[in-house]
Amino acid sequence: MFRLQGSKTLAVDLTGDAVKAKNGSMVAYDGRMTFKKMTGGGDGLRGMVTRRLTGEQMAVMEVKGQGTCYFADRASEISLVSLHGDKLYVEASNLLATDAGLRTGTAFTGLRGGASGNGLFTTTVEGTGQAALMSDGSAVVLRVTPQYPLQVDPGAYIAHQGSLRQQFQSGVNFRTFMGEGSGEAFQIRFEGDGLVYVQPSERNTLGGDV
Amino acid sequence: MPFREINDKMVEATVAPGQRMYSQRGAMLAYRGDVSFTPNIQGGQGGLGSMIGRRVAGEATPLMTVEGNGTVMFGHGGHHIQVINLAGDTLYVEADRLLAFDGSLQQGTMFMGSQGGVMGMVRGQVTGQGLFTTTLRGHGAVAVMAHGGVIELPITPGHTVHVDPQAYVAHHGEVTNKLSTALGWRDMVGRGSGEAFQLELGGSGAVYVQASEEKL
Amino acid sequence: MSGPVIFDPMTLPSDDNVNSYTFCVELKGSRWFLQKGKMIAYYGQIAFDGVGHGRFERLVRSSFHSPLHASDWVVAEGSGKMLLADRAFDVNSFDLADGNLTIRSGNLLAFEPTLALKQSIVPGFLTLIGTGKFVAASNGPVVFMEPPLRVDPQALVGWADCPSPCHHYDHAYMTGVMGGLRALTGIGGTSGEEHQFEFVGAGTVLLQSTEALMPEQPTGAGPGEPGVPGTPGSAPRGSGQLGDLQRRFGL
Repeated sequence: MFRLQGSKTLAVDLTGDAVKAKNGSMVAYDGRMTFKKMTGGGDGLRGMVTRRLTGEQMAVMEVKGQGTCYFADRASEISLVSLHGDKLYVEASNLLATDAGLRTGTAFTGLRGGASGNGLFTTTVEGTGQAALMSDGSAVVLRVTPQYPLQVDPGAYIAHQGSLRQQFQSGVNFRTFMGEGSGEAFQIRFEGDGLVYVQPSERNTLGGDV
Repeated sequence: MPFREINDKMVEATVAPGQRMYSQRGAMLAYRGDVSFTPNIQGGQGGLGSMIGRRVAGEATPLMTVEGNGTVMFGHGGHHIQVINLAGDTLYVEADRLLAFDGSLQQGTMFMGSQGGVMGMVRGQVTGQGLFTTTLRGHGAVAVMAHGGVIELPITPGHTVHVDPQAYVAHHGEVTNKLSTALGWRDMVGRGSGEAFQLELGGSGAVYVQASEEKL
Repeated sequence: MSGPVIFDPMTLPSDDNVNSYTFCVELKGSRWFLQKGKMIAYYGQIAFDGVGHGRFERLVRSSFHSPLHASDWVVAEGSGKMLLADRAFDVNSFDLADGNLTIRSGNLLAFEPTLALKQSIVPGFLTLIGTGKFVAASNGPVVFMEPPLRVDPQALVGWADCPSPCHHYDHAYMTGVMGGLRALTGIGGTSGEEHQFEFVGAGTVLLQSTEALMPEQPTGAGPGEPGVPGTPGSAPRGSGQLGDLQRRFGL
C-alpha cells in the first residue's frame, strides 16, 4: 500500500509482501525488512542487455517485510499512479518505486532522445498496482484527447500512459538569431488518448547525457 | 522565543533586549530594528568544550550571536526548515544543520561513541562528520535545516526505527542508538561500505528524517 | 489514496498557478514574452519566435530598450494554454497597475507586452514599467516586506515603488575588537552579515527565502561610459558556462 508522507516521502506499508524501489532510496523503516538487489529491473537478461546498450542505469532493489518502509530521493516530489492493467511509460530516472507485482521493461520510443539527451529507451511499467514517480517539483498531469494534442518540452517530460502517439517535432518557425536557439526549438507532440506527466523543470536533460 | 514560520524555507524570530540567540553564519536574510550579529570565536556558552566552539576554532561551521531589539528573518541555501520546540528535553543534532536557536538552550557536545561506539562510526565513516554531535537542552525553540523537508517518525518502546544515516537529521527523547544492518542490505550496497549500516533508534522519542540522502 | 489532479485545456487555469512551481498562461490571439527554455508544455496553436528577429525586430525598441539581452527572450504568439516553469523554483505572477517593479534578472520568467522592460542601474536587475502581468521565479515563496528593512543582497528578489537600495555596512562588526582581531588573525572570517541592502521610504521589498542564488541572467551591458555602473564585464556570471550551455541547447 503506497501513501505519501508529505509530498517528498513515499511510505509503503508492507505485510509480508514486497516492493521494488530505486536502489538506495530507503531513508527509514520500522518493523522488519529484507533487501535484495535486482538486476535489470526485473525483466531478465534481455532487459539487462538493453539497459547496457542504452546506458540506462536503473538499479533496483526489492524490499520485503512487515512494517512501514520510507523512500525518498534527492528531495524529489512524488506522484502516485494507479495502474489497472494498462501500461505506463516513464523515464528511468523518474521512477522511484513500484508494486512488486508490476512488470517493468524497456521500450524503444523513437527519435526523441536524439536532441534532448533523453534516452532513446524508456522504462515501461505494466500490470495492476501502484507506481511512484518522482519529479523535480510537483508534476502536472495533462490529458491528451484527439481534439487536444499536447506539445511538451523534452526536458520536462517524465511519463505518459494511455494510447498515445508521440512525435518529435522541431521548433516551430524559429530561425537562428545570433547563433542561439529559441529555447523552445524541440518539442514532443502527443496525439491520441491518454495522460502526460510533466515536471516544472527542464534540468533533467542537462544532468543527463547531453 | 518561538520562531514564526513564514513559509517552509523561512522563519522569523523576534529579538528582545536581554535575550540572545545563535544562528548559523550567513543565515540572516533580512532584519528590521536594531539588531547586531557578532561572530562567535569561543562558541556559545560551552567555551572550548563546546562542539560549536570547536568548529568555529577549526574554521568550520561558524555561529553568530544575534542580539538587540527587532525581528530577523532566517533561511539558508534553499533548505527546508523544521522548527523543533523543546520542553526540557534534549535534541541531538549536527552543528551544521542548525539554522538558529534560542540562546537560553544549554549547548553541549556528545561524543556519540559513548553510546556503544557505533554512532561515532556512523558519523565518522558515513557522513564524514566528526565524532561529536551537538546537544541542545532546555526550554526553547530550534530551527533545523533539512534537504527537502523532514518527516517526524515516533519512536516508542517496542517500535524501533531504522534510519539511513545520510537521511538522519536529528532526534530527541530518551533514545538509544546503535548500528544495525538489515538482511540483504549489505550484499546490496557492498561490504565494507559505510552505507552498509542503518541507525537503529529505540526507546521513546522522535527522529527527524529528511526526504533525501544528500548531506547539507 | 487520491490520484493527482488531471488537467486538460478546459480545466487548466487561465493566467494563474497550476501548482507552486507551474504557471499557466492563456493566449487568445495575444502575445507574451518568455525567457528562453521556460515553456514546459502547451496546448493549442502557439508559435515561438526570437525577439529582435524579423517582424519582431521592432519589439526590441518598444519593449526591451536594451538590444543585448533581447536575444534571451522569445515571443509566444497564438491561441492556447502554455505552462511555464523554471528549475522547480516557486513561480508567482504579479500585476502592475501603472507601476514599476525592479527584479533580479534571473528571476524574471515572462511578461505581458504591455509592460516595458528596462535595465536597472543596479547591476543584475531589470525594471518593469507600465500595466500588466509578469511571472517571476524565486527560491521558496516570495515574501513581501515593507521598509525600513535591511536585506541580505542574495535574498533580494526585487522591490517596487521605493527608491533603490543603498549599501549598509555593519560597522560594529567590521571594526571593534572582534573585527580587529579578525583582520589581524583571519580567525572568524567574514560572516556575510556585515553588508546588507538598506531600504527606506514607502514601497514593497520582495524577498526570497534563501540565499542560494538563481543563476544570473545577462541584462545586457551598459554603454560603457564613465559614470555608468555595471558596465562591461563587471558582473561575472555565476555558473556562466552552464547557463550558456543551457541556452545553446535550448533547454
